[in-house]
Amino acid sequence: MLPEFASVIPESKEKALTYLSSLDKVKVFAGGTDLLVKMRRGETCNNIVDITGIPDLKGISQHGSLITIGAASTHKAISTHPIVRSQACSLAIACGWVGSPAIRNMGTIGGNLVNASPAAESLTPLLIHDAEVVLESNDGMRRMKVEDFILAPYKTAINTRELLTVIEIKGLSGYREGYKRVTKRAAWAISRLSIAWAILEEAGVFRDVKIAIGSCTPMPFRPNAIEASLQGKAKSVDIIRAAVEGILEEIKRISGIRPSFVYKIPVVRDLLVEILRS
Amino acid sequence: MKKINFTLNGKSTIIEVEDNETLLQVLRERLHIKSVKEGCSIGECGACTVLIDNEPHYACLTLASKVDDHDVKTVEFLGDENLLHPLQEKFIEYGAVQCGYCTPGMLLTAYSLLLKNQPPTDGDIKEAISGNLCRCTGYIQIVEAIRNAAGICKCNP
Repeated sequence: MLPEFASVIPESKEKALTYLSSLDKVKVFAGGTDLLVKMRRGETCNNIVDITGIPDLKGISQHGSLITIGAASTHKAISTHPIVRSQACSLAIACGWVGSPAIRNMGTIGGNLVNASPAAESLTPLLIHDAEVVLESNDGMRRMKVEDFILAPYKTAINTRELLTVIEIKGLSGYREGYKRVTKRAAWAISRLSIAWAILEEAGVFRDVKIAIGSCTPMPFRPNAIEASLQGKAKSVDIIRAAVEGILEEIKRISGIRPSFVYKIPVVRDLLVEILRS
Repeated sequence: MKKINFTLNGKSTIIEVEDNETLLQVLRERLHIKSVKEGCSIGECGACTVLIDNEPHYACLTLASKVDDHDVKTVEFLGDENLLHPLQEKFIEYGAVQCGYCTPGMLLTAYSLLLKNQPPTDGDIKEAISGNLCRCTGYIQIVEAIRNAAGICKCNP
């Protein structure tokens, strides 16, 4: 049984914001695949605002290189969308691996971000696409980078009167891009380790390298200094090896030495070498 | 309380539901559709799978109020003991039913797949059923049953 609450099902974003500004102890229902699990485990609220039927919060569109993703878009909608598949394929792959088919029909990217699991599949692709989130309330609108939005595992900068309405990412063309993860089983699993990448290269020289690594540090991160150092460098074994060792040092600096690193560090090393070399 | 009006197995259904009632509770306890099983209650087993607008959803994590104006199918839509659906016949023929607890959800997921994709590859079948756990069969018989149903199964939504 779920604890008692009252729910409202607004038809527009404006109505949802009004409910959020006026109801007490209120939670947003954006798919329910995390929220209802938490409520079964004892989390309570007085009111739920169900935003899953609001058309404004669902579309995916493109203006120049900017891709706008409505926060109530399901993982299924994102993983199968032609714009995402062609210009942010790591995000399409990652969303296509979230949970199971039914979870992907239900869960949304906005819910995934507000839940802020450090192992969330969408985070590493969003980092390499310089994602920003738009937070709206009756008092106004603010936007911030995803890495600033997520303050710590399971903790974000959103306040209870705000709604995450849009995620904006930069589309990438001409890059080779991908997403790999390591899980405890082949399907219906959350990543133990994930890497998203987008690499632009020309005649054996790195032009632009974007890499994000998840589940090795408290929050997914991009090794910005090493990405920058690869720019203009030849794609040689020595250069790649040095860059990868630099990234591993960065992981150890952020996290300290953890018991899981006996396994994780060699796996990350091999994955990064393979990704940079291929 | 909310009054919802939805299509359940092809029939228009109107019922009042509590705001915090799940679709699983309403189907089992109020509408007496016991084929929808409660397993884990947290979206990690697939025993409560139903089709909403022909796509698999977990009834345990679906608020009943959300199916207002939508189409919901449970395994009763496929057939009954007098006239089984060809997919059900194949599940029996290939030994894809053992304890039976996952079977209604598994059948609905397979039905949803065959609506969109005929004939599916084994990879398509495995991906489609990856959200329905079976602890008896080891899945091989289930994949075989679905593969062999593909040719004969006419799925009319």
